[in-house]
Amino acid sequence: MPTGKLVNLFLLLFTLLADPSIQLENGTFKLAGWDGISTIRTGSAAAVFPIYVDSEAPLQLLGTYAVEAGTLTFTPRFPLEPGVRYRAEFTAANRAPIVARFDIPKVETEPTTVVEHVYPSRNRLPENLLKLYFHFSAPMSRGEAYRRVHLLDQSGNVMPLTFLELDEELWDVENRRLTILFDPGRIKSGLVPHNELGAPLEEGKSYTLVVDRDWADGEGVPLKEEFRKTFSVGPADGESPDPDTWKITAPKAGTRDAVSIDFPEPLDHALLERLLELTRNNSRVAGSVRVDREETRWQFTPRDPWQAGDYTVLVEAQLEDLSGNGLDRPFEVDVFEKITERQSSEKIPLPFTVR
Amino acid sequence: MTKVNEGDSMKFRTLLIVCITVLFAVSAQGQHRASLKAGKAQLKSAGALTFGPEGILFVGDSAGGAVYALDTNDQTAATGAAKVEVAGLNSKISAMLGTTADQILINDVAVNPISRKIYVSVSRGRGTAAVPLIMRVDASGKIEELALQNIAHSSAALPNTPTGERQRLDTITDLAFLKDVVYVAGLSNEEFSSNLRSIPFPFKQVEKGTSVQIYHGSHGQWETNSPVRTFVAYEIGNKPHLIAAYTCTPIVKLPIESLKPGSKVTGTTIAELGAGNRPLDMIVYKKGGAEFILMNNSSRGVMKMPTAKMETYGPITKPTDIAGLPYQTIAGLTGVEQLDAYDATNAVILARGAGGMLDLKTVALP
Repeated sequence: MPTGKLVNLFLLLFTLLADPSIQLENGTFKLAGWDGISTIRTGSAAAVFPIYVDSEAPLQLLGTYAVEAGTLTFTPRFPLEPGVRYRAEFTAANRAPIVARFDIPKVETEPTTVVEHVYPSRNRLPENLLKLYFHFSAPMSRGEAYRRVHLLDQSGNVMPLTFLELDEELWDVENRRLTILFDPGRIKSGLVPHNELGAPLEEGKSYTLVVDRDWADGEGVPLKEEFRKTFSVGPADGESPDPDTWKITAPKAGTRDAVSIDFPEPLDHALLERLLELTRNNSRVAGSVRVDREETRWQFTPRDPWQAGDYTVLVEAQLEDLSGNGLDRPFEVDVFEKITERQSSEKIPLPFTVR
Repeated sequence: MTKVNEGDSMKFRTLLIVCITVLFAVSAQGQHRASLKAGKAQLKSAGALTFGPEGILFVGDSAGGAVYALDTNDQTAATGAAKVEVAGLNSKISAMLGTTADQILINDVAVNPISRKIYVSVSRGRGTAAVPLIMRVDASGKIEELALQNIAHSSAALPNTPTGERQRLDTITDLAFLKDVVYVAGLSNEEFSSNLRSIPFPFKQVEKGTSVQIYHGSHGQWETNSPVRTFVAYEIGNKPHLIAAYTCTPIVKLPIESLKPGSKVTGTTIAELGAGNRPLDMIVYKKGGAEFILMNNSSRGVMKMPTAKMETYGPITKPTDIAGLPYQTIAGLTGVEQLDAYDATNAVILARGAGGMLDLKTVALP
């Protein structure tokens, strides 16, 4: 072998041995041992050292390049995701390309999140039931609620087109409570969906709500168990709740016993917790609210003992029953049979006296 | 000393007048942007989008209970052919954000009418650590992030924002901008009612806008106070109207002048689109001298409705599937999840294709 070729071979071997290496350290990708590092200019780093999500379209991760102590680094815009494989490439002129793949380990977590409660609590619900609240023991993930919550008929078949599906699901701030509405178009008299498909629920039949176990919680871990609630259906309710039928039980002065209001029918759980306020001489009384007995009782426990005298519970007219009938207005109004609106949209006072 | 002759002086004066006129025009045009202050836009979520003047993007932040106005600094008029095609937009965005396509949510799409760049509201992650982002796509298909770290912006807090109330939230279902007013349609996760707010723009410090309750009739008999799902601001007979699609499917028109604080407004049902369908987005466009509304739906495809004589369509009184305003379903457009006007002859759509991929593309207006 001529000397020249031998030298070339040695040079090639040397180059191969001195090839740069790619590492991933603390969420930062590093290209070390590349003698061309000094040629790196702003904007050219991404071409030399692109980073990708291996399974997705070949678009580079957003992030920041820097040169530190002869090493080219890339810090992604977002922390690396467990369970995702990343691909780092080194491509420079006259150098053999390098591809390195990094799997971010997924920590297998034992599922613990469960459906704690579904409101309404009752197992017999009106035919024109409007709302369901699902309370979870931990934050959930968004974007698949309507695929994970089902209504089954008596034979176990999934009832289609039952719920109002919204682009943005109706969660609370913490992603722990989900509100699901029955399709109001099917509930309302006279609308095409109602005429074509009928109401979602039929009186006399029973149904089962199912929440899939596969639904990922806020940490991406499935639920601990499937949730089921079976209920039967009673007649539709087209009447506004009437505060005149509510029963107030006043506590005794000097105690911290709760004041209670009992309702003849269950009311909306979330609204009961929010829309009733206890006042004395027009100022709010501090204390805590409790709703129980299947949403037929509201209780208020004051922070300080009751004083003898007059108190008032103020109820906002938006308070609804299970069928969306508000105090001021039923869910739907037949304008041919003009009903008198029972209440104005102001707060309704319910006075009681502590003795 | 330079001698200026009469002709030069005339030219100079003309030039001066032109300059002053242009300056006035520019300052008048820039008044909306001038109301925005640089800083970090603290969005808690990014949902409904709509463009206002001067490249200002309005973003519905349901989790934060606010509407943001963002200066996109994107006022260079579009040139060149109007064709955009980005296959697998969700996979491309997730790749840039370092995650997988199933871990991002694309919430809305809006086109900047000046630059024709397409803006996309995104949630990176679906759980507790989700981050809201605005991405934009240019005609070549290049995707970039609109940095929110230091951007001229302002915001208007919606009443009943979740301070102190842990659970109640208004989800912003849609936004529209017309004549210096932002219209916000919302849906509460507790009480069931319509909630349409009008907020004058530029936003004022304490301006929370006015809220009205809108009822709609069905077949002239039943009235309900129902949430609006999507709507478009539009002039009928030179009067600004909102054409709104309700959560329970009727399409209703309401004159904007009737939206007065505390008033009860009954919209007129002009079309009913039948069961098992969700209206998603609406746009208004002109073609061949006539005007049309284009609307995409969850299961009944993309529908086209003429606006001609819309003011003459009275309330629907008979229950029929194709009632009131006539509509035509556009063949070949399926799985359209997002729709916006692109230019005079094209719309942009985000359509779900094979394998759950979301393809962004321009289509000729039908």
